[in-house]
Formats: sequence, C-alpha cells, structure tokens
Amino acid sequence: MVGEDHEQELRGDELGRGGDVRLVVPAAPEYLRLVRLTAAGLASRLGFTFDEVEDLRIAVDELCFQLLGEVNGDGGSIEPRTMDLVYSAGDDSITITGRTGMSGDVPAPSDLSEQILDALVDEHEVSGGDGMITFRLRKQRES
Amino acid sequence: MAFEATDRHELRSKLEEYATTGDKVLRDEIVASQVGLAEYLARRFKNRGEPIEDLIQVALLGLLKAVERFDPSRGLEFSTFATPTIVGELKRHFRDKGWAVRVPRRVQELHLRMGTVVNNLSQELGRSPTIPEIAQRAEVSVDEVLEAMEAGRAYRFTSIDAPAGDDDDRAPSPAAAQLGEDDTGLEEVEQRMLLSPLIDSLPKREQMIIHLRFFRGMTQSEIAARLGISQMHVSRLLARSLAQLRDRAGAEAAPG
Repeated sequence: MVGEDHEQELRGDELGRGGDVRLVVPAAPEYLRLVRLTAAGLASRLGFTFDEVEDLRIAVDELCFQLLGEVNGDGGSIEPRTMDLVYSAGDDSITITGRTGMSGDVPAPSDLSEQILDALVDEHEVSGGDGMITFRLRKQRES
Repeated sequence: MAFEATDRHELRSKLEEYATTGDKVLRDEIVASQVGLAEYLARRFKNRGEPIEDLIQVALLGLLKAVERFDPSRGLEFSTFATPTIVGELKRHFRDKGWAVRVPRRVQELHLRMGTVVNNLSQELGRSPTIPEIAQRAEVSVDEVLEAMEAGRAYRFTSIDAPAGDDDDRAPSPAAAQLGEDDTGLEEVEQRMLLSPLIDSLPKREQMIIHLRFFRGMTQSEIAARLGISQMHVSRLLARSLAQLRDRAGAEAAPG
C-alpha cells in the first residue's frame, strides 16, 4: 500500500456503490494472479459466462502486464510501485479502472495487444502523464 | 489390435514404399491407418491427471516417429516396433511436462474435469455456461471453479524454446489435419500475422487459435467446437501462446 493518505481518500470516493472492489497490489507480474482472480470473481457474481470470464481475465492481464513495463528492466533505479485497481459492477457490465505510477512516457501498446483487447472487451483505454498512468476497461455481459 | 492378414500385408507394403520414397502423403496415410493403436495406448495412461486429448496428441507424435524410424528390412511387425516408441513418448510426456508451478492436486483434478463439464454444459444449454452452473454440475464451490480456471496458466506444455511448428504441425490429429484444408486457410492467417512476426514463432495450431479469437472474433467455445478440442484446452493453449509471445517480446526488447 502507498502511504499517501490523500490519494487513498480520493480513490475511496470512487468506491461509490456497494459491490465495488478495490485492489492495491505491487506492480509486479506475480501479483497479476490476484488481479485476474478478482476480475473473475466479480464477473461470476454478475452471471458472466465462462467465455466472458475467460475474456475478462485475459484482457485485464494483458492490459496490466503492459503497464508493468520497465519494472523488471535494468535493475538499477527501480522504485517499488503499486497498481491500484477499482472493479465496478454495473447491472450487466464490469468496469475496471486502475492507476500506477510510471516515469517516462506511457508505453505504446503493440498492435497485437490492441487487437487482443479489442477482441476481448467492449472498451479499453490507457492515458497518463506526469508519472501517473490511468487505465480503464469495460466488458459487457452478452445476455 | 488384431489386423486382418490383408490389412497387415497392405501396411507392410506401404511401409516398405515409404522407407524408400519418404513420401509424406504416404506417411500420413500410414499414420491415419494406425490411429487406433495410438489412441489405445494413450487411454492406458488416462486417470493420471492429464487430459485424454493431450495424451492422444502425444501418442500420435510417437506413432509418427515410429513410422519414420521403422525399418521394414528387420522383419519386425510394425505394431511390435511402434508400441514401445509410442509408450516411450507418453512416458516422456509425463516426465517432462505437467504442472510448472505447484498446483494442489484437487485443483489440478478439477481443472482437468472441468474440460468435460464445460463441454457438456455448453452443449446442453446451447451457450457458454456461467460459473455457478459449472460449480453446481461439478459439485464444487464457485471459488474452486475460479481457482481451477486460473490453474490453466500453471500448466506447462512444450518447452518455450521448442522450435516453431513443433509437434502441432506434424501431429496428424483431426484438428491439425483440418487446419490445412479449412476455408480460413493458413495463408490468410499468415498475412494477418504480419502484424506481429512474433506469432510466426508459435506452433501452427496456436497461430490459428490466436487468429480465430483475436482477429476473427470467435469465442473460445466456438473455436473449441471448430477444432474438435475442449474449451479448457483452447483456454490453456491461449494462455500458453500469450505467455510465449510475452517472453519473446521481452527477449527482443532486451538490450544485447
């Protein structure tokens, strides 16, 4: 957890409705399992099908993996950072928003990554600057 | 595995011809005629925690090797020669492959059992089942199903260093055979794959699955039905493909 109370408060406001889930994990690949499991758990509560849960798991994993970026890079100036996710359950959709710190530019997603996300979820975007990246993805239940 | 005398005679003359000509069409014909042997041996290894469809793939690879290595001049029956080759391949599979990360046995078992459960439910319902539906049918909790889905990622297949187009390319499975002839055509796959040369490095069947899922927008269950494999298998192959693509992308990006 980051020790910045102010930010925690801000994020707390985003947990508006009941049923929303917030997850803060170290920005490292071994924690993506928790990111996926949380997504799958919430999706299954909303009656998503196996196909849809699979898609959501792969998508959130793909998107977050990109943003882990240089964390395992040179090994020199790595600051431990966290990834802060809010999973919001709508009536028939799930929206996952997240943020993580990152120095430098927002990594440009590969064409393949874009293609994968396009196929799996209804909306996805990554934006940021000033050392902070935010992302959002949404998946709608079919029936 | 008793063959009529005429079949045996025909098999022998085909094997002799293949030994001299090396004709790939003939080879595949021989393999196809012996699929029963491979399946029979694969089934002897079931209930050891591996999906039968994976085992049949492995056995078919062993069969292919046996056809390629068989020396008719030594006077052995083909089945006598092929059986230890196929069994050897299956044993090697159990030794080399399996769960890369330690996954509790009950989760492994549920993961493998879910292949059948998901397939049956999909057929009965005419749609992809929900997680509670799967849990109910499998008589486990929703959490256990979620854990079992996650376990697919811990499942190791061929080595990441395996050359492109290894096993899957050559194994004369119904699924692999379908790839070449199907209307989607690998040619088109190859064109689309220019998007990412990395994908070329995947076995053909996985290229196909990536193509169908991400470029054609087919669902996992549709792909499973189309390729004649279980959806859990599609899920594992997708997880493996994406992991390999990441590894390779990482390797390319790394300096030096």
